[in-house]
Amino acid sequence: MSVEIIKRVEQLLPYHDLKLISQGAEALVFITTKHPYLPKNYKSLDLSTDADSSKYIIKYRPPKPYRHEILDKQITKSRTASEAKILNKLTILNFKTPKLISMDAPHGLIIMEYIGYDLNNGDISSLKNHLWLLEKQQESNNYNPNVANDASVESLLKMVGERLGELHLYDIVHGDLTSSNIMLIKDSESETGNVEPTLIDFGLSSYSSLSEDKAVDLYVLERALISTHPVYATQYNEWMLEGYCQAYKAQKSMKRHVEVIRRLEGVRLRGRKRSLLG
Amino acid sequence: MVNLDQYLKPNQTEYYALGLEGSANKLGIGIIKHNIGQLTTLNKAEVLSNVRDTYITPAGEGFLPRDTARHHRNWVVRLIKEALNEAFGCGLHDSFKKLDCICFTQGPGMGAPLQSVVIAARTLSQLWGIPMIGVNHCIGHIEMGREITNAMNPVVLYVSGGNTQIIAYSRQRYRIFGETLDIAIGNCLDRFARVLKISNYPSPGYNIEQLAKKGKNFIELPYTVKGMDLSMSGILEFIESLANDLFNGKKNKLLIAKNGTNGTNEDEEKITIEDLCFSLQECLYAMLVEITERAMAHVNANQVLIVGGVGCNERLQEMMKIMVLDRNGSIFATDERFCIDNGIMIAHAGLLSYRMGDFTELSESVCTQKFRTDEVLVKWRDD
Repeated sequence: MSVEIIKRVEQLLPYHDLKLISQGAEALVFITTKHPYLPKNYKSLDLSTDADSSKYIIKYRPPKPYRHEILDKQITKSRTASEAKILNKLTILNFKTPKLISMDAPHGLIIMEYIGYDLNNGDISSLKNHLWLLEKQQESNNYNPNVANDASVESLLKMVGERLGELHLYDIVHGDLTSSNIMLIKDSESETGNVEPTLIDFGLSSYSSLSEDKAVDLYVLERALISTHPVYATQYNEWMLEGYCQAYKAQKSMKRHVEVIRRLEGVRLRGRKRSLLG
Repeated sequence: MVNLDQYLKPNQTEYYALGLEGSANKLGIGIIKHNIGQLTTLNKAEVLSNVRDTYITPAGEGFLPRDTARHHRNWVVRLIKEALNEAFGCGLHDSFKKLDCICFTQGPGMGAPLQSVVIAARTLSQLWGIPMIGVNHCIGHIEMGREITNAMNPVVLYVSGGNTQIIAYSRQRYRIFGETLDIAIGNCLDRFARVLKISNYPSPGYNIEQLAKKGKNFIELPYTVKGMDLSMSGILEFIESLANDLFNGKKNKLLIAKNGTNGTNEDEEKITIEDLCFSLQECLYAMLVEITERAMAHVNANQVLIVGGVGCNERLQEMMKIMVLDRNGSIFATDERFCIDNGIMIAHAGLLSYRMGDFTELSESVCTQKFRTDEVLVKWRDD
């Protein structure tokens, strides 16, 4: 099945050598070395970007054959357009995300910057892979040194919380937070390998000023951490919420923070939402 | 593998269970037989009888709890006699001695109908001196679906009049990954059928499906998938108002379909009730298939099992099949005997927990309208 889909993308984007890197339920993500419209060997003069200018990401939403044609077109178009709009908005706001390069909403294509690097084991640098690598190392070292107490992990998760807080202060909710939707990028200034988290995949994002929606965002991340990093999730989550608080403190809007956290308690207790025991 | 025969009585080679189901407008009685040993494709559960009576209301009306409970009370004795007779072919006084346990739906469901069936179960249990077992209705659907289709570890889409959940098994619980945030899909279809005043026999959803087969114009409806959850009350509201405009002859530009490209009057076509049914089904089922696909990607599964009353719908099965084949997976669905609420599934799930040594004391046999699927510890599985 994926062969057919790849063929279809190749038809839409000839001259792009595509490498599939991830396939989710809704979209396929490819890597390519060719910019969609700039001449070959063009070097960006824009030094503010940390992105690797030799690689680009193509996100493709294939048509779903099970859906009615009209419905499918409408969904693909609106979701692609809304993702692109939010990416663009975030770039204008100077919020660190992959920058939008090009898009084709009716065909469900988005081309954006490549961010991230390869981990020691060759995986892409998502927070999930990074933490899994550390967790595995720790387990083979007989829980010594302890990842859950590692200062670098602590600061990383606090930064995740800060990023999320900043996003929420712009009244944007992510809608699909998991540890694989957080990419790590290397700080361009220091060569020592200081890593920084960046939120990606704004396919389900929307504008909302309701603290309810922000609390659900936090809750979704909390659930995702528990299911992907069961042993350390409590500690991770604590750090993340600390960072989240920091972001509000920096903007002197602690009132809103208190409101969101109060809502979060409510969301956790709510019966209708999944009471996943254990 | 869990040993299912830890509590085997001396000389016992098989188990029999009676199941009573009455959580909504169907009263179902079933008797199932398990041979000792693991349940495998060679040692399958045997359905001895599966009888059902549905409380059908006039077109345009739903079933009220009080009237449904009265229907169940009126029919329960007759159906139990019929089921026992069909299963064992001998009189009541000889047949009940073969039963190991009496299983009943403990929830979730409508309070009054549940209550009337629990009373029947308690009475029989006291009368015959047989232990009783309270069963979660959703678990009944899932276990019966697995037994019938031989699906090993599927993602389960449970769609019925009162529930819309996407479920996957993990560490001895059926965990809910996504569900409706407001009304259930069957409820949405039933209520739309009431607006159209179409017959409730054999079921409103079936009649909508038949109408939808004749529809061809697609109207865009709200599409409300929220991650792995969905919401359906807004869609119902939207299509209800469209249907009312259609009946009252009010002008509404959504009620005119344009087929041609030149936009002349000749290309215009009035939207019909059939088109509304068609659009509603397309929209709702696309949402269901989408969340199922998300759940499959999330838990890395490639089997899908559809259970519950709406699971009989052929269009839903067809759409799911296209999606699943695209992912190189397989789809499992059952027919109306096992999709629609029935007693046999309660008997089957109840017998599984009986074989693990569980039963419900009389004092604990209270039924509950809210009983979540993930509250049940699935002792009979350990994978």
